[in-house]
Amino acid sequence: MGIDILQGIISIIIILGLSPLFAGLVNKQKAILTGRIGAPILQPYYDLQKIFKKETINATSSSFISRISPLINLVTLVIAAAMLPVGFWKPLISFSGDIILFAYILGLARFFQILAAMDIGSSFEGMGAAREATFALFAEPIFFFTIGSISFISGFTSLFDIYHSIELTNISYGVFIIICSISVFMLAVSECSRMPVDDPNTHLELTMIHEVMILDNSGIDLFLYQYSSYIKLFIYAILEISFFYPFSQQSYLLGILIFITGSAALTFVLGVVETIISRSKMKNIPQYLLFATAIGILNLLIYTFTK
Amino acid sequence: MENVLSILFCLSLFYVIVTSRVKAYVTVLQIQGVLLSVLLIIQVIHNFSVYGIILPITLLLVKVILIPRYINKVISELEIKRRIEPTIQQMILLPIVIVTMITIFIVSSILSKNTAMDVIPFASGFSSIVVGIYIIMFRKKLIVHVCGFLILENGIFLFGTAVASELPMLIELGVLLDVFVVVFLMGITLNRISSTFKGFEVSHLGRLKD
Repeated sequence: MGIDILQGIISIIIILGLSPLFAGLVNKQKAILTGRIGAPILQPYYDLQKIFKKETINATSSSFISRISPLINLVTLVIAAAMLPVGFWKPLISFSGDIILFAYILGLARFFQILAAMDIGSSFEGMGAAREATFALFAEPIFFFTIGSISFISGFTSLFDIYHSIELTNISYGVFIIICSISVFMLAVSECSRMPVDDPNTHLELTMIHEVMILDNSGIDLFLYQYSSYIKLFIYAILEISFFYPFSQQSYLLGILIFITGSAALTFVLGVVETIISRSKMKNIPQYLLFATAIGILNLLIYTFTK
Repeated sequence: MENVLSILFCLSLFYVIVTSRVKAYVTVLQIQGVLLSVLLIIQVIHNFSVYGIILPITLLLVKVILIPRYINKVISELEIKRRIEPTIQQMILLPIVIVTMITIFIVSSILSKNTAMDVIPFASGFSSIVVGIYIIMFRKKLIVHVCGFLILENGIFLFGTAVASELPMLIELGVLLDVFVVVFLMGITLNRISSTFKGFEVSHLGRLKD
């Protein structure tokens, strides 16, 4: 029992500590693939340190919501991070039905971010909030259809148990997992505002979704937002990597090894995807998200009729 | 294993619905051809016969090499633009397809209680037929209509393998020949149309008079 809690705490610390590194690795890969040298891998840490030192200024028209929203954002993401397994370690929070909590705790973070963006009263950020809400509407079914179909297949409703029941030796099970991982990848791309949905680098008002919402924040507030967006990316990366653990053999060393190689492979995949794909038009994004939902529905259908 | 191939087949259908380039249609046709030939080869491995090998090889030759090459040739010769030009918004078609697929899966599972058949290949073949019809209905370009017809034909093929485990080989070969001739005729027709009208859209044909 004690060891379980200790392992859970260690995995949270790993997630919180390594998440900026993950973002840095993705940016570095992207830079190398496009023929640039790129910022150092540790650049996100430097950025966070720089933002942390700056003074926090709030808009005069803003209410208490803009002040509590960054904190709520970080706290909810830390709770979400506590539900994911690192290696074969049991996460700190794990009970049957925690996939629903996982989805809605991320939803809460997004809700407060949208509220805070509208609270400032800039029409600019209202536009970003509207976009975020619209695309979130299409992104939610992806999570429920894919994770829901895996939970049907495995018969568990807790993230750790679901991943625990995966056996890659069964070929049709393997296909389910691969299809699910495609759709989770598309979800991750949209939730973390990466390339085909949103461009993390641009500051052009017409194109951005996530970046525009935090435009009026500075200092500690910006630090919290930025850090939680790094954590969010890493959370989705872990959600994706966990499909590929061979949970039938339990060995801690193998788990950690797969965690590291999986993260590295995922940064490479993200880098390649962001290099070869350009940001799609705003009107095409719902279609992109619906495609991922369709994959989830197909998975569910096929499982229901082969049982 | 047949189920796995059918899932991949359904994924290719989703892709063909969301894509907006003519070249992607040709690629999807090639992928579907490969999937169907692998399906047949698996059946041959289970009960080996010399005549059984001829069909997958012919399928591979016609559907993966000859027809896509011919369509590509037509596209480059007639300088067809790469956008597909849908008549309704792309965004609307995908939900329609999802709902259709769900209905088909439910119907085929009800049907399978009385008849002996594999639900998944049957349902994916059936949805491929419907998707082919949708493509012919909701796209303007004639070359895309040809691709839609071929997707429909692939669906019939998958449908056939699901219902009867072995169709007479001669019939299958005859169907393949028919399809090839149809595509050939379509190409010639497109050439004729291009020499009379500018553009290759169905909307032009509405204005035909005696």
